[in-house]
Amino acid sequence: MTRPIGTPGRASWKEEAVGMVLGFAVLALLPFLFTDAYSRHVLIMVFIYAVVASNWDLSLGYGGVFNFGHLALFGIGVYAYGLLTKLMGLDPWLALVASGILATAAAILVTIPILRLKGIYIILVTFGFAQLVMQVILSQSDYTGGTQGMVRIPGLYWFDHNMVRDGKFAYFFLALGLLAASTVFLRVFVRSRIGAGIVALRDNEEYAIARGISLVRQRMITLAASAFFTGMAGAFYAAYQRNASIDVFGMSLATIILSMVLLGGTSTIYGAIIASFVLTVFAELMADFGAWRPIITALLIIVVMLAYPTGLAGLIRAGWAATAGRLRRTAPAARPAETT
Amino acid sequence: MGASAEILFGGLFQGSLYAMMAVGLALVWTTIGVFNFSHGVFMMLGAYLAWQFVDIGLPLPVVLPLAVVAMAAIGWLLQASVVRPLIGRPNIVLVVVITTLAAASLIENGVLELWGPRSKQIPPLLEGNTTIGGVGVSMHQIAIIVITPVILAALWLFLNRTRLGLALRAVAQNEDASLLVGLNVTALYGLAFAIAAALAALAGIFLGGYRFMSPVMGADPLLKALIVVVFGGISSISGPIFAAYLIGFFEAASNYYFGLYWTPALLFAVLILTLMVRPEGMFARSSRSLA
Repeated sequence: MTRPIGTPGRASWKEEAVGMVLGFAVLALLPFLFTDAYSRHVLIMVFIYAVVASNWDLSLGYGGVFNFGHLALFGIGVYAYGLLTKLMGLDPWLALVASGILATAAAILVTIPILRLKGIYIILVTFGFAQLVMQVILSQSDYTGGTQGMVRIPGLYWFDHNMVRDGKFAYFFLALGLLAASTVFLRVFVRSRIGAGIVALRDNEEYAIARGISLVRQRMITLAASAFFTGMAGAFYAAYQRNASIDVFGMSLATIILSMVLLGGTSTIYGAIIASFVLTVFAELMADFGAWRPIITALLIIVVMLAYPTGLAGLIRAGWAATAGRLRRTAPAARPAETT
Repeated sequence: MGASAEILFGGLFQGSLYAMMAVGLALVWTTIGVFNFSHGVFMMLGAYLAWQFVDIGLPLPVVLPLAVVAMAAIGWLLQASVVRPLIGRPNIVLVVVITTLAAASLIENGVLELWGPRSKQIPPLLEGNTTIGGVGVSMHQIAIIVITPVILAALWLFLNRTRLGLALRAVAQNEDASLLVGLNVTALYGLAFAIAAALAALAGIFLGGYRFMSPVMGADPLLKALIVVVFGGISSISGPIFAAYLIGFFEAASNYYFGLYWTPALLFAVLILTLMVRPEGMFARSSRSLA
């Protein structure tokens, strides 16, 4: 059954643009509501995670490429920024962009061995790539600090504004700007012809190839596109924290970000962003529970995944459809993979 | 002589542990078609259960089967709670990755809460040390090197010679046809997880008698088992077993010549190269070629 373009589940360009502007306007008001540095810090972390998670959604959700080296791209961003600013004395803003470009180059490099592979095999190679990057960073301890990490990395600057004593005001808006740029890029990308081609490859590889879509080119474009803002987010993270540690390659961060992608609902971009917010704030609220925090979080993830396989985005969509009285013929959960 | 003996024993010992882990992982993978990221914590939990049983004064010959059976039950339970409800969904592979990862985090933190972070150790299977070819090895290690092939052979016999084992393999090969001939596929899914968990528990108990245990002790063996399974291919049970020993020897040799530090990187580099040449694994019969 063919669905005409501009049908249920897919908002028009204009609707989406208005929604996005409104959404980011609300986010931009938050620092005036939360004036303490701690709340702002939590929000900055939400934005960084949201960039990483939503870009992962591009390769994992839309592309169907099980890229488990996504956090390595983030890590490359972190260390590239650290090395470029601290050792080579590059301007922090230039280093930020350069880190994004380096992560993109790394993504293209890792695509080469996975071009012939499928599914679970891709997990291994990309995971192996992440381990390789980590080992290289660990072994070059003269530059990277090895297991000690790097400290006193130069932060970003904004004209004469004092970045340190403003209660994280400036960093909040820089992080928000990064998320906005990344989100606009991702949404335009997935709505474009290339985005449609990527989804076609995921849903029916043989047919898509038969229709003239190049698997090699699309897979490379997908991974490269998902890498740039991820690397930038890594660089921003390094600039914000002013240090770099090998922990960014660890399993625990990867698990958290991955659960953001899946909890939010794959192939939506927005889902990953919403889930970053929910999970990060939830984790902060439960700080008092100490050791029970990861246990409760894990339970929450399992329950949501079992109850709502399309994640929070599916939940919201279902709720919206119900309240707006726009219940469609087919329930959202019953439809195959979303292609909005 | 010293070098080769050291590599030989190190390889056999590590290979045994990897084989025990990888076989369970491959079993779940072939039967259900999902990758179980809780496999590492199965190993850890098995070791902790055994430690607990030893702590309340049970002798090792009782503890071993008790812990293994308990883990089989836990494996079955986990399958029933976080894997079975997802079967039939289009994105099951991805969703199972996250549910088993979450379950792993749950169990890991639960163990940390219950037994604390202090390192523990289980008594070895056999006391004492000996010297073979100029290299000192513990009797425990020798016991593992001898016992593992026996267990793997028993598993092979089970899968190839018994009705239940054949049913399990039938499900792995063709689920629809298995349903048509009246096999209880759901129960067989549970069985695959139970066997995998039992083998992982055994590996955990073996490792716990040799090194100190910690709640994260399963992470590295899980990673190695993943490598082994992909390296060996999954078309038969012998593929991962061969690959386990091969990787055990590779690791022992690399540790000896290049040092502990570079071994993981070297291993992954070799693996990525292997996959580029043979995407279906070293010991697999050639499968459908990929696009």
